[in-house]
Amino acid sequence: MSEIVVFSAKKIITMDINRMEATHVAVRGGEILAVGDATCADQWGEVRHDDSLQDTVLMPGFIEGHAHMMAGGMWEYAYAGFHDRIDPDGKLWSGLTDIDAVVGGLSDFADTLEEDQPLVGWGFDPIFLTSERMSKKHLDQISTTRPIAIMFSNFHLMCVNSVALEIAGFDQTTNAEGVIKGTDGQPTGELQEMAAMFPVMRRLGIDFRGLSQKESVIRAYGDVARRAGVTTVTDLYSQMETEDVSTMLRVTGSDDFALRIVPALGAAEGPKTIADKAEALAKLSTDKLRLGAVKLMTDGSIQGWTARVKSPGYVGGQPNGIWNTPPETIFALVEELHSLGIQMHIHVNGDEAAEVTLNAIEAALRKYPWTGHRHVLQHCQLMGRDLFTRAADMGVCCNIFANHIYYFGDQHVALTLGLDRAERMDGARSAIDAGVNIALHSDAPVTPMAPLFTAWCAVNRQTMSGRTLGVAQCIDVEEALFAITMGAAYTLKLDSEIGSIETGKRADFVVLGDDPLAVDPMALKDVPIMGTVFGGRVHLL
Amino acid sequence: MKPRLPLIVISGYLGAGKTTLINRVLAEDHGLKLMVMVNDFGAINIDAALIAEASEDTMTLTNGCVCCTMGADLFMAIGDVLDREQRPDHLVIEASGIADPARIAQVAQAEPDLVYGGIVTVVDGLSFEMLARDDQIGAQVAGQVSAADLILISKMAGPDPTLSMRLCVQARAAVFDLTEVEALAPLLFGSGIQDLPDISTMRHAPYLGWSSVSDRAFAYADLLALLKARPEGLFRFKGFVAHNDTSGWEVQCVGPTVNIKPLKTAQKMRVVGIGLRSEITAKQIDRWWGG
Repeated sequence: MSEIVVFSAKKIITMDINRMEATHVAVRGGEILAVGDATCADQWGEVRHDDSLQDTVLMPGFIEGHAHMMAGGMWEYAYAGFHDRIDPDGKLWSGLTDIDAVVGGLSDFADTLEEDQPLVGWGFDPIFLTSERMSKKHLDQISTTRPIAIMFSNFHLMCVNSVALEIAGFDQTTNAEGVIKGTDGQPTGELQEMAAMFPVMRRLGIDFRGLSQKESVIRAYGDVARRAGVTTVTDLYSQMETEDVSTMLRVTGSDDFALRIVPALGAAEGPKTIADKAEALAKLSTDKLRLGAVKLMTDGSIQGWTARVKSPGYVGGQPNGIWNTPPETIFALVEELHSLGIQMHIHVNGDEAAEVTLNAIEAALRKYPWTGHRHVLQHCQLMGRDLFTRAADMGVCCNIFANHIYYFGDQHVALTLGLDRAERMDGARSAIDAGVNIALHSDAPVTPMAPLFTAWCAVNRQTMSGRTLGVAQCIDVEEALFAITMGAAYTLKLDSEIGSIETGKRADFVVLGDDPLAVDPMALKDVPIMGTVFGGRVHLL
Repeated sequence: MKPRLPLIVISGYLGAGKTTLINRVLAEDHGLKLMVMVNDFGAINIDAALIAEASEDTMTLTNGCVCCTMGADLFMAIGDVLDREQRPDHLVIEASGIADPARIAQVAQAEPDLVYGGIVTVVDGLSFEMLARDDQIGAQVAGQVSAADLILISKMAGPDPTLSMRLCVQARAAVFDLTEVEALAPLLFGSGIQDLPDISTMRHAPYLGWSSVSDRAFAYADLLALLKARPEGLFRFKGFVAHNDTSGWEVQCVGPTVNIKPLKTAQKMRVVGIGLRSEITAKQIDRWWGG
């Protein structure tokens, strides 16, 4: 029998209503043996006391219910975004807040590269830099011999330097939509959409999506998660081929890998094919790699005006968004997967997409009754009380994109929806009141993975400009902390194993430098993450 | 240098008949080595006698054509085809039922190793009017038509002039009812110069072939202006055009789209065109192209 270790802490926030607070937790063989005071495990025999965490606050390890493995892989390239960001090794990358800063920051990075190595950056967001558009002129200041490509944060645009244009064969004779030209008839360096970016990406060997399949990337994802206090993370739109699964099994299976990954297979093919693949994957599940769920796409994004929204649509009069999966295919996929007992995570940004999806689930439920399916709507940004009520009626969970309020809230007021609908976006209060099981997410790498920040967003609903957007939708700190632990565990059907510090569950904790229930709610995002405990093993930063 | 690879995108809403069209093209006797990437491999239905080899996601036919699934990432798949030792004669990509075909086809205008072969949109003649009015998907279905260089109407007993006219106006593309098309390859891929006489003498052929070989040379701007002024009805035009002693142009026009790419070797002008017999005569093409 493994030894019994009793950890002490300044405070243990359990998320278990039977004992909301404790000072000690006993662990045996990766499992929680008892929770209480210093004597909580004495009945079980000899114990070893570990007081190394006695000055910290412990909570159940955070669960990020919507993120992408790419959040680890991105760091193979230079960060060029507006906001400060911390890489998997803990290095702070200061936000680059004007074009000169971008050029300066990337020049410093270029100095660390081999002479002929391309400089690739990511995360650049022109929304925040309004002075002038980035062009080859700026990037040529960094190098006139090394190819440079800077991917924008939305992944739909990039800017490249003159060398990269030449390598891709772009010049005044290039007549391709997306290869933007200036008044002189020459390409400016800006490339719009994949078709125009492809010739550069192919020649520089840039492959953002392929980044999820390498060991170094999986490990970087583990580091990103640990720095955020996350012990279970999703990878929501995984494209797993046989060899990828064996890499994932090998890496996640190693003892020093302190993270549980829950991938959801991207539904890129017909219902039957996807169902077969998901069922085959489910059989390969291990404790630290939970396979078998499926991710469906429906519409686009609100800030890109591609989400499908209900009347009266976008405030600028833009046409309604686009379906990535047409409604009749959503119905077919939902029916097939539901009938086979496969849990689905379904991307819905706009309210029309949410409505069509709920209609599809309702139709499937009438045909194949299934209590406990726990299908999850992901993002849920425009759902109102009516749609949340329907979700609750059917036992559908909602994972809400709370970080959007901070990062894009001001844009939604000004450009996409107008104040009244922006105030009810990501409406966690309505969802909870309607009886929906909710989680909150970052969609990393779209926004940084940091569940306490995500909880802060849902609690305070403050935007980048400092505006409080929709005070009626604010939730309590307790509710937000529940959503990033037990709520998220429920959406992954792992609530019997993780999500609370409770006897019999996995010994997965986040180690905090302060008490999130005691600090000012506005300081929730600043509570320090000291590390995690995974399966009873301490991994401090 | 490997020859450039022409890319054709087959578009159309769910059930329009894209797969039927691809089955037909694969089985047709055109002498081309096609590589066809499809969404749903199971729906490809080829006479077993024509299949040389089949695996889970690739099928090789006895005529040298290959059909495969595109996998997780379409653009990566295109990159893989370009990196092959032996490129196929044409790459055909079946867009998903809701996809905007232009987002895929544009890669052929940007990528120096690809040639823009056009967007072919298959329209279900029976359901198009209803689909185009649908609140949820109407705009996207109509968008597939607007993006097309060539429209093929399926499922009809025969041509419907009203529908053809409507589609033609919306898309500025050539419109055919599939019942009036004997051989698909000339429409979809243009045709080798040596094949031209066959096109014009084809039974029921609604189109005519035209070709020209000469010593003329063009500056980029002049060539672009001329090609943009191409007479309607000349729906495919392609070939090689001289620039100077050390370089030339590769030209590919289909429907309303003009594509010119530089070549770093001297070229002798040789171009071919395919037009609609009902709309254009060889004399009109001669007059436009000039000496």
